Amino acid sequence: MAHAYRAVQWNRYKRLYDAVLAGGCVAYHVLFVGIGAATHPRATIETLVIRATATLAFLLLTVVLSIGPLCRLDPRLLPLLYNRRHLGVVTFLVAATHGVFSIVQFHALGDTHPLVSVLTANTEFASVSQFPFQPLGLLALLVLALMALTSHDFWLATLGPTTWKSLHMLVYAAWGLVVVHVALGVLQAERHPAFPVLVGAGVLWVGGIHAAAGLRERRGDRERPAAREGAWVEVCSADAIADGRAHVASVGDERVAVFRRGERLFALSNVCPHQGGPLGEGRIVDGCVTCPWHGHQFDPETGAAPPPYEDRATTIPLAVRDGTVWIAPDAERTS
Amino acid sequence: MSHGDEFFVGHAPRMPESTRRRVRRVAAALVACGLALGVALTMLQARFDEGVFEFGVERTFDGVLLAEPYPVLLVADADGAGPRTILLSAPGKHGADALVADLVGRPVEVTGSLIDNGRREMIEVHAVRDLSADARLPAVDAGGESLGRLILAGEIVDSKCHLGVMKPGRDKTHKACAIRCISGGVPPVLRVEDRHGRLAYFLLVGTDGRAIGRELLSMIAEPVEVTGDVTRFGDLLVMRTEPASIRRPASR
Ligand code: HEM
Ligand code: FES
Repeated sequence: MAHAYRAVQWNRYKRLYDAVLAGGCVAYHVLFVGIGAATHPRATIETLVIRATATLAFLLLTVVLSIGPLCRLDPRLLPLLYNRRHLGVVTFLVAATHGVFSIVQFHALGDTHPLVSVLTANTEFASVSQFPFQPLGLLALLVLALMALTSHDFWLATLGPTTWKSLHMLVYAAWGLVVVHVALGVLQAERHPAFPVLVGAGVLWVGGIHAAAGLRERRGDRERPAAREGAWVEVCSADAIADGRAHVASVGDERVAVFRRGERLFALSNVCPHQGGPLGEGRIVDGCVTCPWHGHQFDPETGAAPPPYEDRATTIPLAVRDGTVWIAPDAERTS
Repeated sequence: MSHGDEFFVGHAPRMPESTRRRVRRVAAALVACGLALGVALTMLQARFDEGVFEFGVERTFDGVLLAEPYPVLLVADADGAGPRTILLSAPGKHGADALVADLVGRPVEVTGSLIDNGRREMIEVHAVRDLSADARLPAVDAGGESLGRLILAGEIVDSKCHLGVMKPGRDKTHKACAIRCISGGVPPVLRVEDRHGRLAYFLLVGTDGRAIGRELLSMIAEPVEVTGDVTRFGDLLVMRTEPASIRRPASR
């Protein structure tokens, strides 16, 4: 699959997104450290910074994981997804600040190299309450670093969308590691019940919206029992598709988007060649199928992106018989 | 999509109206919830021990240098209430042994930063000067008072972080750091808290009176039971114990 690298474009919305993100992070630190110092006169600034960055990174990571399913449940939130990578990189930077401060505070100026000390100081791997929680944080930070470093479209183009997407699914592993890092670290020491309650609520929330979004998608798939005739599969009535929109059909374990552009209908794989976004949730804009995730465009007839771009959506043969749309998903394709 | 005809494309210059309203509302809610959560967390957090580390402030102390077996400075109390002991450590996560090696038993002037939690003091030593020539210092009482054999439940902590450098300088989140400090020679102490919250500290040494530290690394910053012979040297409690005999309570 040819995959061209497109330079990221800036616009007012992106700048606003980044401004809100940066402003929110700065405000969080000012409030956490300021109010923390005022209410705990014995606190030291290093400890407050370690905890401010730690809690903010965990919070941001939870939001990063929530955006995908939230957009499936309410597509009007797609603009939040559009710039999610900036959120990911900021999460990494905040988490890295926490990690570096922690390593310096708890491991530097000793008889062992700080990074070795993180891994070897506590060796009680057989205990739950005493389990070394810091190596889990380090591992999570390395995963976040890998994703932040490969977040640019250059890496998407170099690695190919499938590898890139698999790599970025590691965000779930990072999140799991952080949950255990917190459960076996701070939750073993902090006495106020609010802490386990909040962490538990975060875990339930992330699990819950993923389950809800998954269920909705599955229900959509089941609604469409398809008639078959040789290679051809019945999709829906041609009238059911509004101009500029798509109907998404499930065929086997694949989804196909059937678009209407004026009088004509076109079938394309629902998977955007850019990052696997749901093409069928997009629209026809300026005659081209436009992906809802990052706005890449494809000619519905050929699947080709308008020049100079080189990526190409997969087109699927389509026929209309007696007002009913049929597609041949397993026939020879252009891709 | 069930939300009218609007469609947002990321690279488009303007967002459709209802999308804009929705996104603005959700973003504002996220930022507000995040900040509220931060305020709640910072107010609810605890784990800030008593204790002050006068970082960046240097003072000088005159006294007699002892090795118990960890370096200790015996100073005359300003109120004339009798001599008191101050533990010594080096900068970073290190004991002061190398800094005072040849001066044990001599009157000295120690320059460094004070660490004090109201129960016990320590100096992070920056320089030591031999005062043998012009000494007018408390007499050293070499003998201690035996308090007998005791079994004590508490937590082994590194005296430097615990007395004021770290917040907190004990418990799970500080475990790895305490291990690093004790491994580096900072004197290990057993922190014992009675039912009324009163604290006592016991400097831990081997049964033959030598320094232990590395032998304790697997027992630090968690509830333990230590058995040993306790001796009081002035205001300093020293417990002689066999590291291998230290137990964790049955339920962990
Ligand atoms: C090198 C990597 C890391 C190290 C050495 C490390 C170390 C620590 C330490 C020592 C604490 C306890 C601090 C305290 O006394 O309050 C802590 C707490 C925490 N860490 Fe990490 N951590 C690392 C990475 C991470 C990452 C990547 C995240 C999240 C994205 C994270 C999230 C947290 C959270 C939420 C807490 C609890 C905050 C609190 O103390 O109140 N950590 N970490
Ligand atoms: S997934 Fe990025 S434009 Fe389609």
